[in-house]
Amino acid sequence: MTTTHVRRSVIGAAAALLLLFPVLSDNAYYQNMAIMAFLMAIMASGWNIISGYTGYISLGQSAFLGIGAYTSALLAIHLDISPFLAAPVGGVVAAFFAVVLALTGRRTRGIAFVIVSFAFLELTGLLASNWTGLTGGNHGLPLPLPTWDRDVHNWPFYYSLLVLLAVTVWGSWAIRRSKLGIGLLAIHDDESKAEGVGVRADRYKMLAFAASAFPIGIAGGIYGYYVSFLEPAAMFDIVIAMQIVLAAHLGGVGTLWGPVLGAFLLEPLTQLTNQQLSGPDAGAWRLVIYGALLAAVVLFFPKGVLVEGAKWWRRIRGGEPQATAGRRLPDLPATLPASVSERLRPSAGDGALARPLVTVDGLRKSFGGVHAVQDCSFTVERGSITGLIGPNGSGKTTVFNLLDGSLRQDAGTIQLSGRMVHTLARWQRAHAGLARTYQATRVFPHLTTLENLAVASDAFSLGRLRASAISGSEAKRAREWLDFVGMGAYADHPAGQLSYGQQKLVELAQALMLEPQLLLLDEPAAGISPALVERLSAIIRQLNGCGMTVLIVEHNMPMVLSLCDRIHVLAQGRVLASGAPGQIERNPAVLDAYLGGHSAHGATSGATS
Amino acid sequence: MTELVQTLVFGVLVGGVYSLVASGMNLVFGVMKVVNLAQGAMLILSAYLTYSLWKAVDLDPLLLVLVTAPSMYVVGWATYYLFIERARTTDPAMALVTTFGLALITKGIMALLWGNDQHAVTPAYANRSFTLGSLHFPQAQLYACLVAVAILAGLYALLRYTWLGQSVQAAASSSDGARLIGIEVRKVRAAAFALGVAAAGAGGALLSVLYPFTPSSTDHWIGLMLSIIVLGGMGSLPGSVLGAVLIALAESLTAAYIAPDWATAVPYLVIILVLLARPQGLMGIRLREDMSRA
Repeated sequence: MTTTHVRRSVIGAAAALLLLFPVLSDNAYYQNMAIMAFLMAIMASGWNIISGYTGYISLGQSAFLGIGAYTSALLAIHLDISPFLAAPVGGVVAAFFAVVLALTGRRTRGIAFVIVSFAFLELTGLLASNWTGLTGGNHGLPLPLPTWDRDVHNWPFYYSLLVLLAVTVWGSWAIRRSKLGIGLLAIHDDESKAEGVGVRADRYKMLAFAASAFPIGIAGGIYGYYVSFLEPAAMFDIVIAMQIVLAAHLGGVGTLWGPVLGAFLLEPLTQLTNQQLSGPDAGAWRLVIYGALLAAVVLFFPKGVLVEGAKWWRRIRGGEPQATAGRRLPDLPATLPASVSERLRPSAGDGALARPLVTVDGLRKSFGGVHAVQDCSFTVERGSITGLIGPNGSGKTTVFNLLDGSLRQDAGTIQLSGRMVHTLARWQRAHAGLARTYQATRVFPHLTTLENLAVASDAFSLGRLRASAISGSEAKRAREWLDFVGMGAYADHPAGQLSYGQQKLVELAQALMLEPQLLLLDEPAAGISPALVERLSAIIRQLNGCGMTVLIVEHNMPMVLSLCDRIHVLAQGRVLASGAPGQIERNPAVLDAYLGGHSAHGATSGATS
Repeated sequence: MTELVQTLVFGVLVGGVYSLVASGMNLVFGVMKVVNLAQGAMLILSAYLTYSLWKAVDLDPLLLVLVTAPSMYVVGWATYYLFIERARTTDPAMALVTTFGLALITKGIMALLWGNDQHAVTPAYANRSFTLGSLHFPQAQLYACLVAVAILAGLYALLRYTWLGQSVQAAASSSDGARLIGIEVRKVRAAAFALGVAAAGAGGALLSVLYPFTPSSTDHWIGLMLSIIVLGGMGSLPGSVLGAVLIALAESLTAAYIAPDWATAVPYLVIILVLLARPQGLMGIRLREDMSRA
């Protein structure tokens, strides 16, 4: 039996057992434990979407439990409906708050998000206790008591939370498979690179946070009815927020079943400590125990106890997966795939074709006192291969970073196809038709090669985010490009395990997924074998033959001279000379800049890296 | 009008103490990019230490700074080697979660040792004030503010003019560079972390006189410190002073003109608003992002 089979049978058996449990046993203690475990599993699975997949750690996730509980309780009381009916509204309200809160994620990363989530939890708790007119404050808010038979008292809570858990896990699975989910993992690996391939990170994060809050909000409504009495201190509890983090870490952060498993491990422990510890010091001991568990788990099992444990087990059994064996790349296809070359044909009218594709005018960028780029102006003709050369520190990479939007210029303009793009965000420039590769490759190490391509996105639409990333048309396109660069055989390998040269090809294919008007290549030939340099040159020529414009920064002069139609030479942040390769080769000013005394001065800027 | 000026006076006096309390957290962040949430618990721990010492020896609690700050230095030093050094190597957000775990442990230990009842240190001058015209200057607040400013000045001098301070700054801006010129970065980091905790130790002695405290006060003080360094700019010590005074003013104005209950919400609201509108804070600097991974 394969692992998949074992896993399926275990999950099936567990589901059947949980479905039948209340019928088989009327033990209220165990039913309560199961209900609490479902609740924790829902919260940990929700947390996993924003914090496990996306890598934005939330230390205030229990705020959504409180928001859901109070929303549905107030609706139930004032509209006189069942809290079960009101619970989904609690989910919607929780998701709404998550969206508002995610606005802080537009410009901040990691640490700031933890702080915001913590502040949000404390603030909502204070709101609930201070807004006494609405919530009853610290006196609490009693809910109507259930009307059904006491013998089956727990059943509605039990089954509704079980169904909600199933739906949450299914949702988490669906997100992980979708283009959205892959984008979230890419954000986790390298957010600014993800934006460079057209991922609209702020929206992705917003959706992820809303998706992580929604089930918790619904669960809050049900849980509130279950305990039938809401208190701010119990509903907006930092200890619950901490237990969510702990549960996810006990199972496996970023995995589908890890948070669920962790919750089922943690809940019996909670019950045990509740029983064993009593008296005035019980609360204090719980803090010590959970605090120590949290610190230990995060320090020693950052990916989760079960995940790291499994890794360790494989290692001592010697079953480490084999490293990817080097393989000869297949010969380059003589032409691009027909569908691909069709799409690449420039679509603009004749008039536009005559003008340059890119016009850079008066670009300037300083870092403190270092003028990396000053008064830099040049054009890139449509359909050309244009080279950008210059000594180290002359500002080439800074120009690239200004072009793709990783840096904002101090002055100057950039036009792409007649449109001003220098004020656009990175993802907007990617959508406008600009793609790049990096000198030191920046593939997403935890995504497979295929997923690395599927994540690239030349437009933002909710419909496309839902689409599966590993089957369907996006995946088909991705395979075409992988085959084109010769990496088709590695589609399912984690990109982080590929060799440097292979990563360069994958990153190129990733840029091509955007089917850009302008392809920026930052030292594509650096650090790879001469055979691969040949291959790259051939690929670039083919792309160019189909109408793609290429701007290339490169130190390999034979390659530049043979490939490029036109070359701009940068020195000390300015364009020193422009012309055909033959002219540049003989230009005395260029020779002086490369070999003469000026280059040492320019090199201090450190702008090339 | 008098009420307003009185409120402002009160805000500035409290702001002095807040500056000291937040500077410790910000110093640690500036040097090792770790937000130490345990700082809030260390603060309250030091308040309890002050309480016990004050009960035992009946010295002026503000003078006990001389005992609590060095003791907390040792606690910080040990914490660094036991937990923080390892936490630093993980994701910065996870390091923050680790320190939150430490905060919970400390909170639990305090509850075990001192119970959950409210404690307060009440020297003879706790309820006296100086009067200037129609304005009142509560003596405890005034003395505490002066001590805080003196300690802060000492901290600045230490960072600016001593070899240790220079190496702390060198290690903060480039650990590799610091290593190359012979600085033992590990020791310097431990010292900086311990210094940050010692600042909380000093702050704890001061706050024990100003506010009653329980182990659960920890959460409130964590929020307060975070809001100050977020508002002032993470990693900027002058920013912490500015942020502290502004937060203290906002709190006392809210308490005076809206309701005391809502004053506790001010720090959390400030955190969310600042991170929405100006994530780098008032005096923080945005760093180059394109170089960080290349």
